[in-house]
Amino acid sequence: MTLKLGRQEFGDDATLVMAIVNRTPDSFYDKGATWAEDKAFDRVEQVVEEGAEIVDIGGIKAAPGEFIDEEEEKRRVVSFVARVRAAYPDLVISVDTWRAPVGRAVCEAGADLINDAWGGADPALVDAAAEFDAAIVCTHTGGVTPRTRPFRIEYDDVVAAAIADTTAYAERAVAAGVDRRSVVIDPAHDFGKNTFHSLELTRRLDEMVATGWPVLVSLSNKDFVGEALDLPVGERLTGTLAATAVSALHGARIYRVHEVVETRQVVDMVSTILGHRPPQRAIRGLA
Amino acid sequence: MRVVCVPGALALLPAYASIDDPVAELRRAVEEAVAWLVEPGAPVAVYCTPQSLRLARRLVGNAGGQVHLAEGPPAAVLVIANGSAKQTEKAPGHFDDRAEAFDAALGQALRAGDSAALAAIDESLARELWADVDAFRSLGSDIDLTGADIEVDYDAAPYGVQYWVVRWLCAR
Repeated sequence: MTLKLGRQEFGDDATLVMAIVNRTPDSFYDKGATWAEDKAFDRVEQVVEEGAEIVDIGGIKAAPGEFIDEEEEKRRVVSFVARVRAAYPDLVISVDTWRAPVGRAVCEAGADLINDAWGGADPALVDAAAEFDAAIVCTHTGGVTPRTRPFRIEYDDVVAAAIADTTAYAERAVAAGVDRRSVVIDPAHDFGKNTFHSLELTRRLDEMVATGWPVLVSLSNKDFVGEALDLPVGERLTGTLAATAVSALHGARIYRVHEVVETRQVVDMVSTILGHRPPQRAIRGLA
Repeated sequence: MRVVCVPGALALLPAYASIDDPVAELRRAVEEAVAWLVEPGAPVAVYCTPQSLRLARRLVGNAGGQVHLAEGPPAAVLVIANGSAKQTEKAPGHFDDRAEAFDAALGQALRAGDSAALAAIDESLARELWADVDAFRSLGSDIDLTGADIEVDYDAAPYGVQYWVVRWLCAR
């Protein structure tokens, strides 16, 4: 099915790279490197040049930390979205938020996609997406409160739970008026999940793809990679790319990442192995 | 009668397509020459190796004709053949210092419509130089190119393999 992300539409076999742009002083990977608005804008410029189709702008780090209220979150992201929109009229702009009023404000400023990492914690978020004909990412968190860490959470079957919750969320979005072509599901690695859960979701991602909803994966430098290899943040790129390759093999459509170039190469290579994408330029043995 | 020669480069087949076409210029020349050759619906006689028959069917079919292998005087002939594959160090067959002279002589025969020279191409040297010339030899023995209007559309060896695209409009 065609994927419609606000202003842009993408064909069935298109794979998309969503670059993370943090307007936060404390996110785990970049630790505030793009906290200053101009630095964040430079990051947008860089990832667009590197070929990212989507930027995902976030104003609050996922992990527990200083409380950021709605007004402060808006201060961090709304005018920035407007600035990016003015500079890049065709770029798909996503905003990472769980709050409906923030979702509404960023859509007004030009966002195409609301990336709700917290599984519909604010039930009115779908209405904001519907109101602006924006797209929405429906994640699975197991019902945890935003910005909390998983503690002794268990599932009978984590993949079944992720499918049940994300597809229910997706149907709720459609019922609220979001275009069916604008709904994406995301198992949300490490959100409400321990490392074993995230590994199993990766291993069985084809089951999520089989639902027919386009699947987004957010794997980049996460703790399940770190724990699988016993490596700290900063040394997880290879592990991330291995998980990316497995996800691509299973048919994931959108990859939310810190490293655009490496991800694009891995996803393109897997698509080419699968025969979904021709080689860039093959002449060896064929001249 | 119209005669066209094109090389048997597998890169011309859709099964081996890339995002960035490594033989874009050659492909253009081949398609234009074959379009000139083929009368829609009409049969085209083909001179080629069994491996190149797939390419012949594809080219002629795309131009709206059909490959016809039966005997009889044809109105259109497609020849799939090419020169050496040893022109450079990076060539498929690696460098051979005899390749340049071999290809130069062959190119001269094609440009001049010299059927006798084509019929007499040195088979064993051609084999050593990885040149696909059987169809050129058959062309030389079967068809008199004397007095033909000749157009050379392509003459290059971009990957160390000598390609020609030539059109002959024969006197009879």
